[in-house]
Amino acid sequence: MIRVEGLTKVFRRPRTFSGPFGALRTLVTRQYEERTAVDDVSFAIDEGEVVGYLGPNGAGKSTTIKILTGILTPTAGTVRVNGMVPWRDRSANARRVGVVFGQRSQLWWDLPLIESLRLVGSLYDVPAARFDASLRKLRDLLGLDEFLDTPVRQLSLGQRMRGDLAAAVLYEPPLLYLDEPTVGLDVLAKEAVREFIVETNRTGRTTVILTTHDLADVEALCKRIILIDHGKVLFDGAIDALVDQPRRLVVLLESAPEEVRGVSRDDEGRHVFDIHGDLPALIAAISAEHTIRDLSIEEPDLESVIKGIYAR
Amino acid sequence: MAEVVRALRLYVLLQRASARGALQYRLNTAIGVLSGAIWQGTGFAFIWVVMHTFPSLAGWGLAEIAFLYGMRLTAHALAMIPMMSVHDIHWVVRNGEFDRFLLRPLNPLVQLMGNRMGLAQFGDLLVGVALLAVASQNAHVGWSPGLIAFCALAIVGGALIETAFLLALCSLSLRMIDTFALRVFLDDVFSKFGSYPMKIFGGVTEWLLTYVLPVAFVAYIPSSVVLGKLDTPWALAAPLLGVILVWPAYLIWRRQLTHYQSVGH
Repeated sequence: MIRVEGLTKVFRRPRTFSGPFGALRTLVTRQYEERTAVDDVSFAIDEGEVVGYLGPNGAGKSTTIKILTGILTPTAGTVRVNGMVPWRDRSANARRVGVVFGQRSQLWWDLPLIESLRLVGSLYDVPAARFDASLRKLRDLLGLDEFLDTPVRQLSLGQRMRGDLAAAVLYEPPLLYLDEPTVGLDVLAKEAVREFIVETNRTGRTTVILTTHDLADVEALCKRIILIDHGKVLFDGAIDALVDQPRRLVVLLESAPEEVRGVSRDDEGRHVFDIHGDLPALIAAISAEHTIRDLSIEEPDLESVIKGIYAR
Repeated sequence: MAEVVRALRLYVLLQRASARGALQYRLNTAIGVLSGAIWQGTGFAFIWVVMHTFPSLAGWGLAEIAFLYGMRLTAHALAMIPMMSVHDIHWVVRNGEFDRFLLRPLNPLVQLMGNRMGLAQFGDLLVGVALLAVASQNAHVGWSPGLIAFCALAIVGGALIETAFLLALCSLSLRMIDTFALRVFLDDVFSKFGSYPMKIFGGVTEWLLTYVLPVAFVAYIPSSVVLGKLDTPWALAAPLLGVILVWPAYLIWRRQLTHYQSVGH
């Protein structure tokens, strides 16, 4: 469904000068500063997948999404989405993708939500009957009824996001780009957004590309993640493979010895054991030799794994 | 063709929506229209005062200059009413709103134009048409069906000339180039030089305003024809210039669109 090869985007802008006559020099300079936002990125995404596209701020996530949606033209590389080149076949591509930018609404600020949805329906040539059916479904799924007639500028962030999601799937696109759809939302609103994404993916076989900084989103929604930083892909694969590490037993011992059963004391005075097989037996063996003051079990978690990858 | 009809239908739909949005701020809209009318009215009042001292400028009487002024103003209003949000494109580019025009299956320029109408320019239109009506009476224009058609076409052509220059210039804003100073300059040249008989500027200026930045074709040449001051056959083709210029302006816009950089990566 999406095929990206050697995608590169370099932003170029005139060099800015400071100091005396800085503004004037900025105006007439022929020197440019270049910044590579996306650097030789390749991946392929199949129909029906929900993929988390992750990276720290400034990693190149949004730039990639903007190229995939046809907003930006890349410096190099090839992209095919539904067999089309997004920035060249912009209109045709637009009909087959839905986009939500969490940071910026695409609704008409001064009009009631329902009017925004009707305008979207017209722009995508959705026939009246299909529009009504679609709207009925979305009203239930997203609970739009309570604010359908409220001007968008008066909606809460959670309501606005639900409105934006409705606008993005109203014409039933087979592909959905969600750029930080849960940013700034409270726990309940986040939950509603996640449930909606799961439902859309399940019933419509909709392919979803999701960027987020909330790893709970990723754990709830994605089987696969693509990690990027400084414009380069660091990891592309199943989350399971990434977090496929043993659980760990963390103990704090009364005597704080240098070493216990081949494990040395860490900076915080604890001993950390990988758990292979029989946990009670391990605990029994330790407590036979030492007095245990505190004990906990750590699940391998995505956050620490990802932090580890960024730090590399 | 079907695509053009669809674009027009959607343009009307978008424009109606934007008007509904804008009319929620009724007082603001009313003041906008009124101040537009007053602003343009004072512009003409200045000429009227000058003409009190000099009964004719380069052989043009007050009524004739009023006609020229009205024609320029009407053309300007017809250009700005649909093009207002193109004129203000730097706003939608800077706050990232332009992105959404690229995400929808409709020509981004049509969506941009449909974003907001130049409501205040209805004030210009009002003054322009009023001046045309009153002045053509006082200047004793010998209206014939052919002359009326020419006058109407010339006004549309004049609007298209201004549209073409505005579009080409504003498309540079897609690359985050600040075009404010140039836009003000363009506005000034069209209104300050376009509203008077070109002859009073003489020599090089007249030549520049005819062949380089063809402001003369917006109102000076067509009104000379209507007022019987000019009857060379090529002058009758003046309305065509706007049509000819709009196309390359659109190509420049298309070219700049591929350089659009968006904001916040």
